[in-house]
Amino acid sequence: MSVHRLQSSPMNAVSEEPVAIDFDGVVARFGALHAMGPTTLSVRQGEFLAVVGPSGCGKSTLLNMVAGTLRPAEGVVRYKGDAVTAINHDVGYITQKNFCLPWRTVEANVRLPLEFRRIPKAEAARRVRIAIDKVGLGGFEKAYPRQLSGGMLQRVMIARTLAYEPDIYLMDEPFGSLDAQLRTRMHGELLKLWQETGATFVFVTHDLQEAITLADRVVVMSGRPGRPKRVVDIELPRPRDVIDIQSNPAFGAYVKELWAALDVH
Amino acid sequence: MSGGSIPSGSTPRRRALPADAFLQLGLAILAVAAWEIVARAFGTDFWTSSPSAVAAELGRWAASGQLAVDLQLTLTEAGVGFVIGSVAGGLIGFILGWMTRLGDLFEPFILSLYTLPKIALAPLFVLWFGIGATNKIMFAAMLVFFMVFFTTYQGTRQVDRDLVENARLLGAGKWDIWTKIAIPYSAVWIFTGIRIGLPYALIGAIVGEFVAAEAGVGFRIKEATSFFNTAAVFAGLIVLMCISLVLLGLLKLLESRALAWQSAGNRVSAGDPT
Ligand SMILES: Nc1ncnc2c1ncn2[C@@H]1O[C@H](COP(=O)(O)OP(=O)(O)OP(=O)(O)O)[C@@H](O)[C@H]1O
Ligand SMILES: [Mg+2]
Repeated sequence: MSVHRLQSSPMNAVSEEPVAIDFDGVVARFGALHAMGPTTLSVRQGEFLAVVGPSGCGKSTLLNMVAGTLRPAEGVVRYKGDAVTAINHDVGYITQKNFCLPWRTVEANVRLPLEFRRIPKAEAARRVRIAIDKVGLGGFEKAYPRQLSGGMLQRVMIARTLAYEPDIYLMDEPFGSLDAQLRTRMHGELLKLWQETGATFVFVTHDLQEAITLADRVVVMSGRPGRPKRVVDIELPRPRDVIDIQSNPAFGAYVKELWAALDVH
Repeated sequence: MSGGSIPSGSTPRRRALPADAFLQLGLAILAVAAWEIVARAFGTDFWTSSPSAVAAELGRWAASGQLAVDLQLTLTEAGVGFVIGSVAGGLIGFILGWMTRLGDLFEPFILSLYTLPKIALAPLFVLWFGIGATNKIMFAAMLVFFMVFFTTYQGTRQVDRDLVENARLLGAGKWDIWTKIAIPYSAVWIFTGIRIGLPYALIGAIVGEFVAAEAGVGFRIKEATSFFNTAAVFAGLIVLMCISLVLLGLLKLLESRALAWQSAGNRVSAGDPT
């Protein structure tokens, strides 16, 4: 089967968009460890890209390079045409690790990037309220992180990112610690957000169904040193209903296809 | 999800029941009574004095006006030393803790100072600062400094560097990192250091007075010992104990205000789910 299908259907209008992120022969090394690459891959503006692959194959590494917290050993990562050489303030990065500040309430944690960006108080308060509602943490504004569960902390991190409305969302298994119901709800919210903002999403996950539900394209990485071994276009109609989409006959076929692609023979 | 109430902490702080308070009071009375009885029955006054003799001595000390003078002197020495030591220790510990390069550079010196029994410096301080209050202030400040400094330095160095990186990603400038990440993070450790360091302020003042002084609670204890006045020695010890308890209470109050989030799990009840 061809790696990259011809993009003909109207829902892939995104293929006309300029490239937002461009990995050009990127290799990551940690000392002697060849962790990832060479990876060549571009993400278009407004695209929803999902990345799947075995643990330790370099998915987080890939995101770190877009955020500018890690430099490639070889190759270059470009963001809107320019090589990323410093921290990239256009990205909203929801990391695998939780970085809630324990001395700040939920509200104050979500407000943090707005304070850094010198957003006026009233506007900041409005955005914080909306972001907290979106992730379903209404009622917990005044709680401190130590009073919250893992999944709630993860949602605080998401709300914090939503609040400053970045151009690109990097999400590293953001829904890993949520229950199935909440996860489905978050999928709906995420698709709405994507539709409303036209932002670019790079979404790392281990959950194939999740990847198919959300993404325009799913990149399947090989084991370490990870490189994209397969890119599958998800040609399901948009806008998608996160529940109905699962009963689409093509959905099951995509799951099968991705399983086969992941399989290490 | 519907807004719920904030879960209260899984381990609510155990509060002493009124019954416990009575029990504690009873134990204290029992101990004092035993002390008095043993002193009378076995005639051990010379070594242990007795509560009645100590009380009488305290009364005499207070009535003569000397207690107020001694107390004021010792408290001033300890207090000023405490403030100087805490500020200097917190500040330097904070700076060396965050500036890793600088911290690495000083690490061997810090470690060698850490192992030094600092009480041994008392005679040297007499040489440097004379036998007046300055000597005790500096000595107390030095002891407090090291406690606050080490605690702040070591606690601060444990910080996850990724936390700072993440703040930068969120748009933090240098100043933001200092004021919104570094200071609140280190505040916990500075407070811990200050709490550990507080008794050392008193230790510093007392040891200083033991070595060379003309007044102060420590000086009274030493003087009383040389006259074999056991009751006065115990009177001095009781005054010291009272001072420590009051100081510790004050610090706890201050800490619970400054670091409200630490005890949040137990105190914040349901939020208003609007
Ligand atoms: N800072 C680092 N220092 C040394 N090695 C690292 C570092 N970060 C990542 N690695 C190594 O690089 C490889 C890729 O790591 P990465 O975190 O990108 O994996 P991942 O695909 O995100 O895995 P997971 O799905 O488990 O999160 C791993 O083998 C890891 O051990
Ligand atoms: Mg990862």
